[in-house]
Amino acid sequence: MDLTSLSNPLVTLDQLSSSSSQLDGLSTELENSIRFGGVQLTEAAGVLLRLPQEVIAQAVVIFTRFYTGPEGGSFLINPVKDVSAASLYMIAKISAIPQTPRSVLNVYAYLSLTAPKSRMDAPSDRQRPDPESHYLTTGAYLAARTTLLQTEAMILRALSFITKVVVPHHLALTFLQTLGVLPSPPTSKSRALAGRTISHLNTGLFSPQLLYLTHQPTALAVAAIYVAAKEIGVNLPCSEWWEVFDVDREELGFLVVGLGSSRLWAEQESRKWVEGKCPLTVEEIMLEMERGREVQ
Amino acid sequence: MASQSKSRWADDEGDQALSAQRKQEKEAKKRAKAEKQRKLEATGTAAPLQPSQVNGSSAHDISLNGLTEPPLKRRRLSPSPPPDAPRKLLRFFASSWGPCRHVDNFEKLNHIEEGSYGWVSRARENATGEIVALKKLKMEPVNDGFPVTGLREIQTLMACRHEGIVGLREVVMGDAMSDAELNLTIKASVFLVMDFLEHDLKTLQEDMQEPFLPSETKTLLLQLTTAVQYLHDNWILHRDLKTSNLLMNNRGQMKVADFGMARYFGDPPPKMTQLVVTLWYRGPELLLGAEKYGREVDIWSVGCIFGELLTKEPLLQGKNEVDQLSKVLQLQKMHSCSLIRIVPKIFELLGLPTEASWPGYKRLPNARSLRLPSDPRMHGSVLGGKFPYLTTAGSSLLTSLLALNPASRPTASEILAHPYFKEDPKPKSTAMFPTFPSKAGQEKRRRAASPSAPKRGEAPKIGEGAIDFGGIFAGREEEEKGAGFALKLI
Repeated sequence: MDLTSLSNPLVTLDQLSSSSSQLDGLSTELENSIRFGGVQLTEAAGVLLRLPQEVIAQAVVIFTRFYTGPEGGSFLINPVKDVSAASLYMIAKISAIPQTPRSVLNVYAYLSLTAPKSRMDAPSDRQRPDPESHYLTTGAYLAARTTLLQTEAMILRALSFITKVVVPHHLALTFLQTLGVLPSPPTSKSRALAGRTISHLNTGLFSPQLLYLTHQPTALAVAAIYVAAKEIGVNLPCSEWWEVFDVDREELGFLVVGLGSSRLWAEQESRKWVEGKCPLTVEEIMLEMERGREVQ
Repeated sequence: MASQSKSRWADDEGDQALSAQRKQEKEAKKRAKAEKQRKLEATGTAAPLQPSQVNGSSAHDISLNGLTEPPLKRRRLSPSPPPDAPRKLLRFFASSWGPCRHVDNFEKLNHIEEGSYGWVSRARENATGEIVALKKLKMEPVNDGFPVTGLREIQTLMACRHEGIVGLREVVMGDAMSDAELNLTIKASVFLVMDFLEHDLKTLQEDMQEPFLPSETKTLLLQLTTAVQYLHDNWILHRDLKTSNLLMNNRGQMKVADFGMARYFGDPPPKMTQLVVTLWYRGPELLLGAEKYGREVDIWSVGCIFGELLTKEPLLQGKNEVDQLSKVLQLQKMHSCSLIRIVPKIFELLGLPTEASWPGYKRLPNARSLRLPSDPRMHGSVLGGKFPYLTTAGSSLLTSLLALNPASRPTASEILAHPYFKEDPKPKSTAMFPTFPSKAGQEKRRRAASPSAPKRGEAPKIGEGAIDFGGIFAGREEEEKGAGFALKLI
């Protein structure tokens, strides 16, 4: 059956068991932290560019795919900022709302000056950095654009031009309707359920278990609904309703644990680094690796 | 059991019979199990955990804290299906990704043609010896990176797995792209590896003495429409359907190729460029500058291809946008004449668009500068003269495909259900198609003069000032008229 509009390519065992970054000597723990920081950066840039979450989520998946596997990119060779910007730029280009290189690079210049903690908040005048400080001069812009376009080409090559990412958000809403828990007009409970489901899907993008690379969108949608319904206290059918959406119990169980733990992991990650500033540039990562060796 | 059938949103007799049967089986199983349990207890061994019990256990066992050690004998908390009837779940075919292969894995055999978006050559894969078509993407030296048209072409082609659409096997790269890593300039050479087909419909027709037989035309049109239906069902607009983009093999199978203009669309349609579809196949709404359009633009192209299949000649060969539009309007007049008795409104304005026949056309960007003739003059139907051998059903299909108002064109599914395909002669089986010598396999093709697909960039405005279409029907009185007699053949 042809369902390319509902399915994604998935990560292989080889790609999961090793990565370029690990081959370059990065510990799995630090690799997970950097990936988390990169996803956070991509999300923040997408929000500032006023892109819909569907586009941002696709860019995050492209970003994550790029750094996966021994043939993928390495955090020590391909700077997080460049890959994040190129993923967002490339996905936006094929979406309904393309962005110019200029606006993408402006946003990343701004973000490089702000602490991750305050990125998502609307900047009040007090904390807004001086516009001069993140202004890209023509020379800097041209150099940054060259890097952006080269990184784009590199991502395309590493992913053999597979740019299609199916995100589960719209599926989740359809499934909720199918389950009959989204009445019209919506109640406060059904609103909360839908909101919570989408939140879990978005949190899943940050998961160190690479949930978006290991599971199909239908499974992610079903698991997010399951967790959200438990939390909100909405009764779903007693029977094994997930099988209707072609998700088996084992897969659901794994994802429920994965999504449930993502939140804890995210909180732990943001506590781990001062002001949420996890190392992202190659230099910062090198320093952090040395510090790690000294501690040992 | 009742909740079981409810959750499947179907409660017909078949389901009830099935659930009754399941109930019986379950009870039989239960009895057998109880018997077994008793025997086990009698022998004093603990009952091992049945795998079926794990499958059959309820949702409540899953919690955020993970699974606790399952008890040996669990209480059923909710009705669960009989464990002996495992339901078949749909498994998705999961592909993977990895770096592109190098183009050196292929040996180029000969050049086929240069399309508007790349060069195509015939090649052989070294490892397997398979013959493929290699299409080199044109990389315009623009400052927005990898061309969006190329990205869309790859994305849409990858998503399509259909017998009527040319198969994209993989994307390979030449050396230059990997130089990007070495901080050299991006001079990428990207190749699409596609199935090789012997012919394209345009070249094939040019070499044929006579047009395709009616039965063959029907088969070709059916194949095209099925492919278009698949694309539209998957929210893809092709936006450059024309005979040179329809490939054919020697087994009578036709495949749609060249997705350089294709893109995903939505409902409501996003704002898209009007600079799509090769001029001769471009619908009136695009000529009038519409930025919101949909599946109908492909249907118009299908109509043009239908007309071309009948006569071997492109139906509407405009020299530029204005000329194309006037040709479209003239053709429409021909239609309207054959529709006089049915639609008096069209009769009044000679088939030129009216607010009633095409609501909102006047708000299209280029419509403002048009001056349409207000003097209706009557002539016999030119459509009938143009296609004397076409049956009534055939003309009605062609007329509906080439309706000015996009909303009145049929969908791909409606075309497939059209009586034209039911009447004699029936569509010819693809196996019965004649074979032709393949030009693509042997020699370089000659380039025939036809406009190429529109380039990206500023859309040409149709006339800053007023364009006078008043004269397009002028001088018809002087035209030679035949005896008005044609022998209708099937």
